[in-house]
Amino acid sequence: MNKISIIGLNKEKSSLIKEIMDLGVVEISSQDTKLADPEWLTYVKKDGNEAEVLNYDVKISKISEILTSLEKYDKNKKPLFYTRRIVSLGEFDRLTANNGKTEENVTKILELNKSLNEIISEENKIDTSILSITPWLSYELPLELSETKYTSVLMGVVPNIADIQKLNDDLRQKTDSCLLNLISSDKDQHYISVICLTKEKEELYDILKQYGFNNVAFKELTGTAAENVTAYKSKLKELGTEKINIEKSISDFVPMKEDIQILYDYLIIERDKNKILSNMLKTDTTFYIEGWVPEECRENVEHVLSKFECWNEITKPEEGEQYPIMLQNGSFVQPFESITELYSLPSSSNIDPTSYMAPFYCMFFGLMLADVGYGVIMAIGCYAVLKKFRLEGTMQKMLKMFFYCGISTAFWGVMFGSWFGDAVPAAAKLLFNSDFTLKPVWINPMEQPMTLLIFSFIFGVIHLFVGMGIQAHILIRDGKKIDAVFDIGFWYGFIIGIALMLFGNSIIPGSGKIGTWMTIIFAIGLVLTQGRSKTGIVSKLISGVLSLYNITSYLSDILSYSRLLALGLATGVVSSVVSILGSMGGRNIFGFILFFVVMLIGHVFNFAINALGAFVHAARLQYVEFFGKFYEGGGEAFNPLAKKTKYNKIIKEEN
Amino acid sequence: MNILTNGNFLAILGASVAALAGIGSAIGVGIAGQAAAGVVAEDPKKFGSTLILQALPGTQGIYGLLVAFIVLNKIGLLGGGMVDLTAAQGGFFFAASLPVGIVGIISAIHQGKVAASGIMLIGKRPEEIAKAMVYAAMVETYAVLALLISFLMINGISI
Repeated sequence: MNKISIIGLNKEKSSLIKEIMDLGVVEISSQDTKLADPEWLTYVKKDGNEAEVLNYDVKISKISEILTSLEKYDKNKKPLFYTRRIVSLGEFDRLTANNGKTEENVTKILELNKSLNEIISEENKIDTSILSITPWLSYELPLELSETKYTSVLMGVVPNIADIQKLNDDLRQKTDSCLLNLISSDKDQHYISVICLTKEKEELYDILKQYGFNNVAFKELTGTAAENVTAYKSKLKELGTEKINIEKSISDFVPMKEDIQILYDYLIIERDKNKILSNMLKTDTTFYIEGWVPEECRENVEHVLSKFECWNEITKPEEGEQYPIMLQNGSFVQPFESITELYSLPSSSNIDPTSYMAPFYCMFFGLMLADVGYGVIMAIGCYAVLKKFRLEGTMQKMLKMFFYCGISTAFWGVMFGSWFGDAVPAAAKLLFNSDFTLKPVWINPMEQPMTLLIFSFIFGVIHLFVGMGIQAHILIRDGKKIDAVFDIGFWYGFIIGIALMLFGNSIIPGSGKIGTWMTIIFAIGLVLTQGRSKTGIVSKLISGVLSLYNITSYLSDILSYSRLLALGLATGVVSSVVSILGSMGGRNIFGFILFFVVMLIGHVFNFAINALGAFVHAARLQYVEFFGKFYEGGGEAFNPLAKKTKYNKIIKEEN
Repeated sequence: MNILTNGNFLAILGASVAALAGIGSAIGVGIAGQAAAGVVAEDPKKFGSTLILQALPGTQGIYGLLVAFIVLNKIGLLGGGMVDLTAAQGGFFFAASLPVGIVGIISAIHQGKVAASGIMLIGKRPEEIAKAMVYAAMVETYAVLALLISFLMINGISI
């Protein structure tokens, strides 16, 4: 990564930014630290055009709203994976010429959307009104009628717990000239009307209140409840047709979706061009850009800049300066970058671990899933999706990674003799009553778990040693050769020594003795060197002795690799459970059908849960055990000024 | 009290204890599921990533099933003809099933809590899902170790 500084003339600024954006390989970094420096401030001020950016943002959010609403009316089947349309630069420029017309359409759609929303809120209002009026449907008097010359009409509700019969009796006791009607009841309240003489109204009202009576009045409504509901319903119907018409007009715009997407992407590009200004500095006639450019793009950038009247300089970053990170790896390793990215990008003083990690990740994933059937399905599935869809970014990397992991899974399946678990022998037994078995190429982990456990630990030790080796490499690169020998070399010797001392004799007779001596020598070495940063002989020695305690952390790291065996066993055992369940129907046609159904469901379940387990635990072994030995994350991703469009991928034409 | 000296009963009891790890998984997946529903209420697009975290505490139940199955298979209960076990042999199976049963229950509950917190984490920072998964996987390590030791013990019992 190289540092780039450009000073140019204001009149060329926008065309220079456009060219840099077309290249898409220069990150323009924020200059806020310079703006805090009084010496710089005497010459420059911050550039920027925030009003314009805001303007674009408002437009963009409106259009994105429109695109979501058009999505609803688009009858075309949506593809499983979303991909950007490929448009050449010339084509894009030609299409953006239509933007004026598209913007008119956008305004039209916005208006349609607005009236649609108005209709919907109107409908909701009517629905609530209908709901409130429905209990009164059998009330035959006009709703607005509250009194005649001598009588009053009270409408209202009492809580459901109130005893209507008793209320009626109480009213009757007071006067004969009153009439209580129960209109309807629901689970909360009774709807009642009371007709009485106006002069007695107050007294009766007191009684009603004791029963929790609440007046109900329908302001602005005339006629009976039933008439009103009918009116509302016809209004709803009208609104419904109007809604359909508007929706139809909106869906007429669906074919213009691509134009609107072009407009959207155009606005994004223009917004970004204006937004980047706030990372630049300016004087009255010049501008200043500072940023980063990858080494391999240097010539392209210099070529572009030579077209302008500007001063530029491309240099290596200073010692210890943090620079943005761009991971660059070969075609096999590159998909595994997603695992590194999920953790954190390396800090610029560390190194990209992906190429060391990729083979282990692939192998561990395979060991933990270890089945030919699952592996082949995974690999073919990923391959088919990658062929069919032009995916980009993390999604593409992930699928490629699972393609490789699928191959690894199938490989370990062959080694362990697992073809959909033991489905093949189980099927042979059930269908043909034969004792056909598939022999594992290497071992059957169900029968020889100890062997696989030991190999899991051996794989683990190799993995850890590679991690420690990378740490040694970093130390040597940084000129700390002595640290590399003492902190890594001695531990290599110590751990190998202990391993030989404990297990050596069973492999090569006599090597146990060598192991013992190695352990003693390297332990002394560690005691003598691990306290070297301390002052005073005593504290040096104490730190040295205490450092031997670190062997427990190495031990727990190594034991952690037992999950390679455990998760592999989980896949195998669940598969055989499925086979046994499937075979329970016996050798008849019903049994055969049961077998296939159980196999299908069981293996889908087993695959899903164990593939998830393999993904998580393979990642954990990298993140905790492997990265723990050397890795330092926290790098910022390289974020060049480029066309970050959403719908159209703009490519340069071949010249 | 005769039944407690019956080897076959003890072995089946062991298989049952192992399968009890499912209690822990049920609780753990439940805790994580509640958190997931909360996060998805805010942003339905996070269904996939929260589901992955919710599934993590489910593995203990599978480990329990696995050990129970191996015990039942080894004593011949699934094949139809159960072997006659001595009380000692039955006791061995019972003892060997304890780690996965007990560690399974407790670790799954705690893994569920960590997964729930992880779901909260991706509610705020969806890009940090890997870290949330690793936190949950840290808890699972002990269930894996228990599974392993139960498996090795059962594998070593001769009948």
